[in-house]
This record gives sequence, C-alpha cells and structure tokens, in this order.
Amino acid sequence: MFEPDEELIGRVVRQLRRPVAVDPGVDARVMAQIARFPARPGPGTARAGWRWLTRPRTVRLSPLGALAIAAACVAVVLARPDRDSHPAPGSAREFGFVIVAPRAATVSLVGDFNDWDAARTPMQRARKAGSVWTAVIPLSPGRYRYAFLVDGVSWLADPAAPAARDDEFGTASSVVTVGGS
Amino acid sequence: MLRRGLGPLVAATLVAAAAAAQQRDSRLERLDSTTRPIVAALVDSARAAALPTEPLVQRALEGATKRATGDRIVAAVRRLALDLDRARDALGSTASPPELTAAAAALRAGAPPAILTALRRVRRESLTVPLAVLTDLVATGVPVDSAAAAVLSLAAKARDTDLVEFRRTVERDIALGAPPASATAAAAAVQMNAGAHQQRPGRP
Repeated sequence: MFEPDEELIGRVVRQLRRPVAVDPGVDARVMAQIARFPARPGPGTARAGWRWLTRPRTVRLSPLGALAIAAACVAVVLARPDRDSHPAPGSAREFGFVIVAPRAATVSLVGDFNDWDAARTPMQRARKAGSVWTAVIPLSPGRYRYAFLVDGVSWLADPAAPAARDDEFGTASSVVTVGGS
Repeated sequence: MLRRGLGPLVAATLVAAAAAAQQRDSRLERLDSTTRPIVAALVDSARAAALPTEPLVQRALEGATKRATGDRIVAAVRRLALDLDRARDALGSTASPPELTAAAAALRAGAPPAILTALRRVRRESLTVPLAVLTDLVATGVPVDSAAAAVLSLAAKARDTDLVEFRRTVERDIALGAPPASATAAAAAVQMNAGAHQQRPGRP
C-alpha cells in the first residue's frame, strides 16, 4: 500500500508550475514548415470553377462538323450493349421430345414449330437405348401441335403429352404448351 | 399531262404489287393448286380482321404434310379462323396471338366464352397456359364445367409452372383410377392450399 507524502506532492506541484523557457525563434520555424504544405482549394476556387462551367459561350461549328458529331452520337447509341440480349422470362426454352420406336429407321419431329416439315427436325437414336429417339428444340411461349413421323409414313402421337383434341386430318397429334412464369 | 400523271401511278402499282408479293406466304406452295388460293384468301381475310395468321398457315401445312384432302384442309383452316375470331371476342382485342390460339383450342374443346372472359378478368399474366391446361383437362376426360371451375379458381395467383403441375397431378390421378371431376377438384384444392401456405415471392 502506498501513502503519498504531502511534502513530496508539494515539490512535484512546484516543479510543474515553474515557467518553461522557449526559444523565441520556434514560432517562426513552425509557421515556415506549415507554409510548405500545398494549400487546399477553398470555397472561392469551387465558386470560380462553377462560374467557368455555367458561363455561356458561343461554339462555332461547320455543318460537316455537326454531321460528324451527330453520326458519332448515332454510332454510340447503336453500338451500346443490347439490354434485352439476356433471355427474359417468357423467351425461348429448350424442350426435349422422346419417342420409343424400336423398328424405326428414321423418326422426324414435325409440328407448328417447324412448319410441319419432316426434313427440318430429324430425331436422333439414343446410343445406349437404340429404340429411343430424341430431339431437343427451342420453343417460345405458346401452344404447339406436333407428332412424330416414323419412316416417313407412320404418324405417332406423343404418349407422354396431352392429345390434340381438334384433330381434323385423321391422324393423332399431341400438344405442348410453353409457359412464361 | 398524261405522262406527268403516269409516274406516280406506276410507282403506286409497283408498291402495291410488292406489298402483295411480300404478304403472300411462300409456304403455302406446298398446297395443291386448288386448295392454295382458297387458303390464301382465308389467311388474307384473317389478316384484314387483325387475327393471327400463323396458326392458320400451320394448320394448312399440317394438313398438307398429313396428305389430307384439300376440302379437309380448307374446312380446318376456316373453322380455326372462326374459333380465333370467337376467342378474340371473348378475350378482347389486346389478347396476344398465343393467347388467341390457346383460347381457340379451349373453345373447340367446349369451354364457354364466358369462362375465357372471366379468366381475362382474374389473371393479369398471360392466359396461354391456363387456357391450354383447361383444354388438356377436357381432352383427358374432365367435364368442361369442372375443368373451367378449377382453372378459374387457380388462375388468379398460380404461376404457369403451378398450373402445368396441377394438370399433371390430375392426369396421374385419373390414370390411377380417380374419377376425372373428383381428381380435378382435389388437385385444385391441394394447389390452392399450397399457394396459401407458401406465400413466397416466387421461385427463381
């Protein structure tokens, strides 16, 4: 436990209260150091800059120069990245079609999406399961009628899809509906 | 005087001929020479009435590829044009071509036009999938009234994927032996409860 002596405290206080002698040239040296730092732009500088920006000026431009500037603006507008280039909800999605046709030599997918053209979407025979035929095509939102054409003569509806109700040509078709949400 | 007036006349004729040639669909060349002008006239009439023409062309091409007779092709195209017109009456002039195509199929399946109009009122999103689900359910054997009531109850809040899932559930239950109307009502109730419980902003 330490008990401070009153005599000791008094001596410390007296020592602290003694005036300190400072070199008379210190003020000048400090101010000289401060003056070496670059000055920040003050409010007066900003005001001058704003005045420069807002002061009206007359720009002289030849018709050819004006046309060049206009063409440059058009080029910039046309060359900007297309914001709609990413597939939006409701754009085309890939759909897979599968049919089992063990004895078929060729199978085509035909429907509203390829103008019912049998040559447009030939189906591929699966390597591991030779009786399975597949095709993958992009479809936009909508309702499409389709069917499979086997060996160019036999029409097959898709057993895994709803049947087309309004079948007026004597052979069954199926429907696929592509939604957007 | 005549020579001065001839230039604009020739130009107008050329422009009209070019426009007509541009509108003539080369895909219709696949139809026989008797059927082609009749189908082309039906397509032109639909275009003049601001109806979508692509479904008509596709129906004609389907008939041609399936080697249907010209009479059957013309009858099918004409009937589809009438259905598209009725569909637009029910859905309004703002309906999109896919919506009109789906609505025409729904009408052909027996859906009353009032159901189409009611669907338009309750659903802000596209009606293509709800109408297709309605048509598909009817094709599966669900009575039109049951299918319409179920789709109408779901259409306001269900997303397209939910409606497709609903249709699959009904088809599966029917395949397992459930009566079509009961399967539809049960699946609709499940779908509505799922929507009420989830209350989520939407799947990614």
